[in-house]
Amino acid sequence: MLANQIGYYSLILGLISSIIIIPISLKNYPQNNETINRKIISLSFFQFFFVLVSFIGLVFSFINSDFGNETVYNNSHTTKPLFYKISGTWGNHEGSLLLWLLVLTFFIFLFLVKSKSQPKKYRILTLLFQQIIIIGFFIFVLKTSNPFNYLFPTPKEGLGLNPILQDPALAIHPPILYLGFVGSSVVFSSSLAAVVQGYISKSWANHIKIWILISWFFLTIGILLGSIWAYYELGWGGFWFWDPVENVSLMPWLSLTALLHCILVLEKKTILTSWTITLSISTFVLSVSGTFLVRSGILNSVHTFANDPERGLFILFFLFFLIFLALIVFFVFHKNGNHETVKINFLSKETSILINNWFMMYFLSVVLIGTLYPIFLEVLTNEKISVGPPFYNKLILPFLVPFLIFMTFVPYLRWIKSEYNKIKIDIILLFILSFIVSFLLFKQFGFESLMISILIPFTFYLFLITAKDLLSKNKKNFSQKVSHFGFSFLVLSILLNSIFSSEIIINLKEGETFSFQGGAIKFHSLEENNGKNYKSIIGNFEIYDDKNQSIKLMPELRIYNQPSIVTSEADIKTTLFYDKFLVMNSVKNNEYFNVRYQLKSFMIWIWISTLILALGGFLSFTKRLYEK
Amino acid sequence: MKILKLFIIIIILITNFTKGNSNESKDNLVNKISKNIRCLICQGQSIYDSQSDFSISMRLVIKKKLEEGLTEKEIYDFLKDKYGQWITYEPEFNKKTFILWIMPILLFIIGGAILFNRLFVKKY
Repeated sequence: MLANQIGYYSLILGLISSIIIIPISLKNYPQNNETINRKIISLSFFQFFFVLVSFIGLVFSFINSDFGNETVYNNSHTTKPLFYKISGTWGNHEGSLLLWLLVLTFFIFLFLVKSKSQPKKYRILTLLFQQIIIIGFFIFVLKTSNPFNYLFPTPKEGLGLNPILQDPALAIHPPILYLGFVGSSVVFSSSLAAVVQGYISKSWANHIKIWILISWFFLTIGILLGSIWAYYELGWGGFWFWDPVENVSLMPWLSLTALLHCILVLEKKTILTSWTITLSISTFVLSVSGTFLVRSGILNSVHTFANDPERGLFILFFLFFLIFLALIVFFVFHKNGNHETVKINFLSKETSILINNWFMMYFLSVVLIGTLYPIFLEVLTNEKISVGPPFYNKLILPFLVPFLIFMTFVPYLRWIKSEYNKIKIDIILLFILSFIVSFLLFKQFGFESLMISILIPFTFYLFLITAKDLLSKNKKNFSQKVSHFGFSFLVLSILLNSIFSSEIIINLKEGETFSFQGGAIKFHSLEENNGKNYKSIIGNFEIYDDKNQSIKLMPELRIYNQPSIVTSEADIKTTLFYDKFLVMNSVKNNEYFNVRYQLKSFMIWIWISTLILALGGFLSFTKRLYEK
Repeated sequence: MKILKLFIIIIILITNFTKGNSNESKDNLVNKISKNIRCLICQGQSIYDSQSDFSISMRLVIKKKLEEGLTEKEIYDFLKDKYGQWITYEPEFNKKTFILWIMPILLFIIGGAILFNRLFVKKY
């Protein structure tokens, strides 16, 4: 009860800090001294501190199962393991917004502390823009989603957390993703501040790059965790469903990836300024729209857990306000004349980055239109359509071919200008090699899809080229090489996974064996088990392969008591080359179980390659810290 | 140029023999179709991914229709007639959805034009 009170009042103190920071900053802004008033930094720290106290208050309410708190009542239960009581804090709408606020206030404090070498006015303006966002979120939390609402009389027991959210990957997925989203808010505020100050320059690019890298790294890892969770918890063996909620996290990622490349140009030459600002704005706007689409319940998605029209309306209004603000700042203050008028040579790194951006924007537009179009169509004509994997495959795969080819050239281009280098013999050899390997693959297996047949050799080629670069002695741009290698590896793993994976779906009862070409599935027995807040039925299965070697797999059906939901937990045996994935479901009024056995090729490489991709960003980030 | 020729030859080889490989087994085809059909009573799942009664019976319907000799496309058409456009994950190309299909490609072309202009046309 006490924790709840402290949490609530601390949150209000956080909002009051904002209200005090703004006039002090405005007063400090026109003064001619070089440094920011120390009070501002202290206040920013206190604001972070208050939100932290508030957040910890909520965590305590969850740990103590204080059901006098409505959020705890709705999302927790006494029998839930401690770990999920804690992660339940942000596993719901109210708590997750409080987490947003916590990261927002932490990041702006960090920004103030870490930007001492930057011009004072620019820093204050960034703070002011950031405070506008922070106030927006404070009002949103307090008005529509207060995590500290009372319930009286105090209920004895809570409603529990949706069992499919009781999972380690999903416990850390939202905080990581938010670090990415909120990081992009710093980039947004800072770019607006830089526009007002006419400070869009090489030194600004150099300084803001670190924030872009932070956001990008966390966003990548956040999406990865979500994907891993969907793979084993939703129990279907897929890892990306083109589900609207997944798309919504992919959109800021694409925009941010474009920005990350763009900022590299701006770091060297003052060109593409308007474009950089546009991307900074769009990344954050996409992050907020994502929150809007998920929270408003407009999207029909497997991930939608909470929705409320009032909340949706608030975020929509806030979103339009932010866009409006950004546009005004952009058109009033941005002078296009102050950048260098340099002709971009066709064979330069700048060109390659522009082409990268061109494709990124295309992929973004496919995902954006695919996600939003059905909503607009329904509002305007009352007709419902679904846009799913076939749409995205058709529009994205063909464009992936030129994109991959183009990526193979990149390492051979220099800044400003490149000559036609003598094309080295080993590059041609790799090219031929990748075609031979692909050809042998086709010959052996034969694929049904033409598009994939064309993609395979080029992906192989890019993979070989990036691997060669990664291993070369020249360690210049090492982080870029790591990321590009990770990317090509990812595409390759996804392709091989989609080609070689196979599955068997059958109904089996205890004691039965099913034989198929190249193996057999034996359903030995069922056993019952009791978990802390669920009962489970475990199936003992044995899978034989063609060499008559067997492995045991034990998929589970869990019956959670609060809320009472049945989930099926897949059992997965991971090896370097494939995952053996087994999941069972009960068939109604029947002793039979629906058993789905999948052989997922190269599954682990999809995760590892994404980690390598993110690692590149991390290396670049740590290198910069080290150099400073 | 040699590489280009080699490339063209290989592409032709590849396309030639992928054509002969469309004999999928019936179960695979059921799965393939199921992945493109929405489970109408679930939250954003295909009938392949879902274990609801609706999905189970839909999978049986698809299997039956295949056994009756309907092609993949005829099955989609049959389901769309019965349940409406909402059921398929691949929207048709018609006067209500052409913007959906064309717009990204149009944006790609516009982007390309802007890029071309910046690189080759604009004078300094």
